Amino acid sequence: MEGLLRLRLALVFSVVAHLSLLVRSSSLSSPELQIVNAERRIDLTSHIVRVYLTLKVENAGTSPASEILLAFPPTQVDRIALVKATATVGKKKKKSYLPLDVNPTDLPDAPNGTKYFSIAFSNPLGMGESVTLEVFYTLTHSQEPFPVEISQSESQLVYYRDSAVILSPYHIKQQITFIKTPSTKVESFTRVEPTDRAGIELKYGPYDDHPPYSFSPIIVHFENNNPFAVVEELVREVEISHWGSLQITEHYKLVNAGARHKGIFSRVEYQSRQSLSGVSSFKHLLARLPPRVHSAYYRDDIGNISSSHLRTDSRKSEMEIEPRYPLFGGWKATFVIGYGLPLQDFLFESPDGRRYLNFSFGCPLAETVVDKLTIKVVLPEGSQNPSAVVPFPVKEHLETSYSYLDVVGRTVVVLEKNNVVPEHNSPFQVYYNFNPIFMLAEPMMLASAFFLFFMACVAYLHVDLSIRK
Amino acid sequence: AFLVPAGIIACFLPLSDASSFVVLYIVTSVYFSGVMVRLMLVLAPAACILSGIALSEAFDVFTRSIKFQLPGISGTSQIDAGDASSGSVVTQNDAVKTNKNEDSVKERPSKKNKKKEKEIVEKASIKSQIEKRLMVLPLEASVIAILLLVLLGAFYVVHCVWAAAEAYSAPSIVLTSHSHDGLHVFDDFREAYAWLRHNTEVDDKVASWWDYGYQTTAMANRTVIVDNNTWNNTHIATVGTAMSSPEKAAWEIFNSLDVKYVLVVFGGLVGYPSDDINKFLWMVRIGGGVFPHIKEPDYLRDGQYRIDSQATPTMLNCLMYKLSYYRFVETDGKGFDRVRRTEIGKKHFKLTHFEEVFTTHHWMVRIYKLKPPKNRIRGKTKKSKSKASSTTTSRRSGTRKKNPWH
Repeated sequence: MEGLLRLRLALVFSVVAHLSLLVRSSSLSSPELQIVNAERRIDLTSHIVRVYLTLKVENAGTSPASEILLAFPPTQVDRIALVKATATVGKKKKKSYLPLDVNPTDLPDAPNGTKYFSIAFSNPLGMGESVTLEVFYTLTHSQEPFPVEISQSESQLVYYRDSAVILSPYHIKQQITFIKTPSTKVESFTRVEPTDRAGIELKYGPYDDHPPYSFSPIIVHFENNNPFAVVEELVREVEISHWGSLQITEHYKLVNAGARHKGIFSRVEYQSRQSLSGVSSFKHLLARLPPRVHSAYYRDDIGNISSSHLRTDSRKSEMEIEPRYPLFGGWKATFVIGYGLPLQDFLFESPDGRRYLNFSFGCPLAETVVDKLTIKVVLPEGSQNPSAVVPFPVKEHLETSYSYLDVVGRTVVVLEKNNVVPEHNSPFQVYYNFNPIFMLAEPMMLASAFFLFFMACVAYLHVDLSIRK
Repeated sequence: AFLVPAGIIACFLPLSDASSFVVLYIVTSVYFSGVMVRLMLVLAPAACILSGIALSEAFDVFTRSIKFQLPGISGTSQIDAGDASSGSVVTQNDAVKTNKNEDSVKERPSKKNKKKEKEIVEKASIKSQIEKRLMVLPLEASVIAILLLVLLGAFYVVHCVWAAAEAYSAPSIVLTSHSHDGLHVFDDFREAYAWLRHNTEVDDKVASWWDYGYQTTAMANRTVIVDNNTWNNTHIATVGTAMSSPEKAAWEIFNSLDVKYVLVVFGGLVGYPSDDINKFLWMVRIGGGVFPHIKEPDYLRDGQYRIDSQATPTMLNCLMYKLSYYRFVETDGKGFDRVRRTEIGKKHFKLTHFEEVFTTHHWMVRIYKLKPPKNRIRGKTKKSKSKASSTTTSRRSGTRKKNPWH
């Protein structure tokens, strides 16, 4: 009897010990997150690919999770322009969205060079809890024109490569992907059963129980005649003048990044059969500017371009510009847009006495991708301690520029970013200290210059340098 | 400017050396301006001088009449001294005259009778009155006439400014036209140059007539074959010959010059009169001056230069015709050229050695690219075809013989 008891005790003890060991080992390893339901909507209607991901995440592990990882194949990661995540809080009627921080990370043991973005939860996800996340990301240059060269009368077909199964480091119980194409013309698409196509929507799924890092590549070949307006380089100069205005000059290098145009360009066909000819070309671009804009100009190296319209109202201004010629695939245009804005709309004083400029980052042209964006904020002379606060990572450095009546030079805050999409048009701030006495520097300089000149004239006229009377 | 005839007449009245020079100058400059409109520049100073002479004579007459009318009025009232109605001119005159008298009187004894003074003054004024009585007009008429002349001068200034703005300030790179819905701008030249600048390779050469050479170099930033400097007449003649030859010969010439693009200016759709078809006869003449196989009468029908159905086959087959009117018939169905005001002769044709790469919005500038040579040339090896092609080869060899590029 005692022996049996002791055996049982020993068994129980060993089982408990093992269990505790197991528990300890599992608490040392990362928490087991599981994606219960994933729904992905890929919007291919414009040349910028927008993906909306709804993830229902459950913590199936034994310790609270503070972050969740999103995985991307290495070819896609270079083209990601923006990743945003929000957590859905509340039930159907009282839904609210909490924005979450997203940061790119790297795991040392990532298979096949997968790159990650980590989303930090606002409160750590406890064991057995689940949360619904909405993730939004945009991809640029992901629609590859195929055929690479088209003639004037052909329409543009592009490839989109992705995976039917969402790439994830977690086990996904149920997932479904919807792809929306701009028109019903889809040349071909890879079938990964169950696949369905209805009108402009392709459905991949629902797929059940896919292990982590499962990937099944698909290619969708479809027609996309939306303008592939890409600005290769954009330099925006914002000059702050404390005398009341903000002067903005933007230098664009625009290209049509769609299928290259080959062969002849026939103006008669372009003008007479507009719906059949040159469908992938574009003529107009819309620039959305803040209200109360004045002195707007649109010119290029050769001179003023007269084909533009500026429409202003109290809430926004719209400038519709027409490059000198319609842009077919591979055709380029460079131009300069400049305008002035009243200073009181953009320059404010912060509670700690510093001034700051609140301006919108990004390119004012609608639905364009900027490959390389440089924003230069020229602060007035005598500004100190400039610093910039931008909601997303940018490269920042300082320069000095010399302008009229400058002695010391003006500090320029230069912000650079690659791969900018219209979703980046959010405000950013540049803080600086400015002693109001420096405003007097320029008028005093001018006044004293004229004063000295007149004094010299008076002295010259009255000084008698003759040797004899 | 319309006062020039009056000025000529005014020159003759006292015909001196100076005025006869001016008359001769204006006669010769009128003749030369009639021959070539740009020599109007020579006519301008002569016309200005003569109208100035006419105006100054007119002013002279009017002011003199006023001057002599006014003392006439106050001459009677000189008897009552200190009359307020006498004008300042009169008092000045009187002052001058009394000064003169005083000066002359200083030499005499200072005792002077007022009457004597008056007598001398009256004598002087009567003398001058008698002298100038011929040129006196009524006072009111001359005052009004002076006012009108001043107004005329003012309006003439306004007219000149307007004429200079409208007619002489055309930048000729941007053309404007006033239509019922405002100002319509034709920016085709800059459109074409911007297209060349951005959408061609840096080393591509553009061939056009020499008028557009500097513009192409500056705005399109591409190498041209001939430009406005026009220092190499043979080179210009080569381009002119190419524009006047049929397609294949022109292609050979341009290919030997390593040209990639050919630019022609065509005003037929909008009615722009200074286009290349209007300048084409000069291309033929200059080309024919160096290359004798280009003969001007080949392009004229009965001595008249035409591009309609009555044009000569040489004209209808030359490169300039083809590049200007390629697919022009598709714009309105009939191919009506607004500058020449006729329908074009050859409406439907294809280009074999060139392809259209760009035409501007109003069809004013058309840019073509040279097609690369074909890999195979058909029909040379077969004997049966040799007879049929012998005529063409003989024609080709004929042009080749005369064409110095082979």
